Amino acid sequence: MPLRRADIFGVLTASGLLLLLALVLRGSGPDPAEADRLTRLQRLVTEAQLTDLALLTEARYTRHPTQADHFAPFQDHPLALDHFPSGMFWSPRRPAP
Amino acid sequence: MILEPGILALILLSLITSGTILYALRHIVPILYAWDLKSGSEGQLQLERRTYLLSTLLTWAFVAELTSLLLLVYTAENLHERFTGAMCAAGVFNLNAFGYPALLLKLGNFLLAGCWLVLNRADNSARDYPLIRGKYLFLLVLTVPLLAEGVVLGLYLLNLQPDVITSCCGSLFGSRAVGLGSELAVWPMRPLGLVLLLAYVLNLGSGSFVLRKGRGSYLFALSGLLVLFLGISAILSFVAPYFYELPSHHCPFCLLKADYGYVGYLLCGGLLVGATAAAAVGVLQPFATRPSLRQIIPALQRRAVWLGLTLFTLCFLVATLRIITTDFTLFG
Amino acid sequence: MTGWCERQRNILDVALASLRRRRGKNLSLLVVYSLTVFLGASVMFYSAGLKREARLLLSAAPELVVQRLSAGRHDLIPVAYAEGIRTIRGVGTVAPRLWGYYYDAVYGANYTVQVPTLPPPAGEIVIGPGIARLRKVAAGDLLPFLSYRREDLLLQVREILPAESELVSTDLLLLAEADFRALFSFPSGVATDLTVTVRNPQEVATVARKIVERFPDTRPILREEMQATYAAVFDWRGGLLLVLFGVVLLAFIIFAWDKAAGLSAEERREIGILKGIGWETGDILTLKFWEGTSISLTAFLLGTLLAYVHVFLLQAPLLAATLKGWAVLYPDFRLVSRIDAFQLTVLFVLTVIPYTVATLVPSWRAATIDPDSVMRD
Repeated sequence: MPLRRADIFGVLTASGLLLLLALVLRGSGPDPAEADRLTRLQRLVTEAQLTDLALLTEARYTRHPTQADHFAPFQDHPLALDHFPSGMFWSPRRPAP
Repeated sequence: MILEPGILALILLSLITSGTILYALRHIVPILYAWDLKSGSEGQLQLERRTYLLSTLLTWAFVAELTSLLLLVYTAENLHERFTGAMCAAGVFNLNAFGYPALLLKLGNFLLAGCWLVLNRADNSARDYPLIRGKYLFLLVLTVPLLAEGVVLGLYLLNLQPDVITSCCGSLFGSRAVGLGSELAVWPMRPLGLVLLLAYVLNLGSGSFVLRKGRGSYLFALSGLLVLFLGISAILSFVAPYFYELPSHHCPFCLLKADYGYVGYLLCGGLLVGATAAAAVGVLQPFATRPSLRQIIPALQRRAVWLGLTLFTLCFLVATLRIITTDFTLFG
Repeated sequence: MTGWCERQRNILDVALASLRRRRGKNLSLLVVYSLTVFLGASVMFYSAGLKREARLLLSAAPELVVQRLSAGRHDLIPVAYAEGIRTIRGVGTVAPRLWGYYYDAVYGANYTVQVPTLPPPAGEIVIGPGIARLRKVAAGDLLPFLSYRREDLLLQVREILPAESELVSTDLLLLAEADFRALFSFPSGVATDLTVTVRNPQEVATVARKIVERFPDTRPILREEMQATYAAVFDWRGGLLLVLFGVVLLAFIIFAWDKAAGLSAEERREIGILKGIGWETGDILTLKFWEGTSISLTAFLLGTLLAYVHVFLLQAPLLAATLKGWAVLYPDFRLVSRIDAFQLTVLFVLTVIPYTVATLVPSWRAATIDPDSVMRD
């Protein structure tokens, strides 16, 4: 019997879904290497007493958002456009009490 | 409001469901008034065509409604780290006055929407649209809670304030708290367990009666709803503490976490879907005597009874197994 | 049941054949659809990954940081405050923290200069991988700095922090207290801020309140707040991108609606013929359902899998460009490949459901075509 279109589609879609499922399961299981990495990094964070991610190094308040005044990026008014490009992503509201 | 993908998805689903209902309302009024299968007029032909669209649209809308319950719980579970004081979904729902009403409305609508889908299924299986008036009248009634849910859910999601300090499950379902959750949580274990067992046995008995004799559907539906209500109370009162092995921890939402093997999804989901199946059996019963449905409805009912009984029994077994096997006991 | 399956399989066959007949139209739809899913998925995976990383890493951050404010600005805190804080009930240890920024005028980069709890010996420094990359130095090399007294300060690189720590350390310069004070002419008896440990983690908020009562010019920052700040930042960031994505989505929906509504004469004839040979309206609706579903599923799978590759294997080049801004030092990090069922559900709801809704009415229009009116044309 020749292969039918529906079967080819079914097999392709099913393998795609299985791949996606495998990716989800891969992320949900325990991962010793990942746990080791976390322990090492957390030790560094504790020893150096870090409070922030070194993600945006361009200005004080983007380098250390947790240590800055929450209005630091919005010196003029809450929705003022910021000098730095990454400032446009800053929420104008205080995140936590 | 918080820009979070889960919240955006919930709002989108809610808009789609409400929009579909409103669109359907515009078209079901003519159907309710002018439907006449014997007539071959152009108007009747238009109406018959329209029913295909409505049926498909509403099926999609209600399937969306069913999935959005899961999405709501999961989103609340995911959001708890954003709020000071919230350790699980219980605290997130408590963030403003609309959280728990939205959840309760969603639970109720799950039941109703499930029944409507079963009714629609029965109607579509027959050739002569036997349930057309019934299902659209039902839909008319359903509109109120569905739209109310959309409004309440919108109010809840749009009013999430990140700087509110909420109280979490410990104080919400504790013995000192006030409110429905804590009222249910302090129900004594023995009488509640006994009544639940009775309701379950009644459900089992009436279910097998429906399967064998084709009668007793209303009793099955009622006892199914009773099992749902008592089952949820039992989870709050003593099943949850057995899973946590902590006499004071009654929270139903912590059961949804990975730490407890997601058993909450099985227990709550099983109870809810089982009760929906049971209610559908009762909803189908008044139409069982229609000539074109004489074959279809009993077959549908039997499947629903099997589904309901299987799910209830599964929940019952899982909970009992845990209570028996754990070293922890509430009988001091 | 097998009968039902066989029937769906046959209808799917017809659906795929009909999609194939209009290859150009459907391929363009598939490409745009996949790109839309890809965009949404990339944003979600990326911001969720960063959020998770921030939460886990900052769970090791100081429990409580106490800053001093002077005229509304962050100011140096006298070390004497530490004594006063130590007497508050429930406080474990109080330690001064010395940190600041060094602007490297040659490269235009800002370093974060900090004295860790176990500092390197005087004259030596530990640097983050970003600085090592920028200055092209290795362990053992000497790095010159210009102190606030305009004196040259030569410090030897003792160690470069591991690449895996980029996300927290790329611009970090760890050094001894004496070097810190020499570099910035930092006065003695003061620190940048204080870190406080609390014996009972449940009492952190109470201790913070007592500190403000005792020292009204201070501002305590809880670890929970640091984590919440990052959660808020990434949600806001991801949310803004998602709103932009919403515009893309809307454009796509209109595109899809247009494609579905514009039935060609040929398509109308096909449906007319199917009806003529005995297909019912319900069957045509099923056919249309399978046409839509095969496109949706394929686009969803393609989009998410591509986004996975983009974010986790290629380090999100398209998104990183918008995040980098004007920074000279940017961490070169790899996110932990992790997606969950919730993200996929949300993505599915945000992309597939609108598409389905947009095509429902057009496909109903198609399904209720009168066979005779078509064939008479």
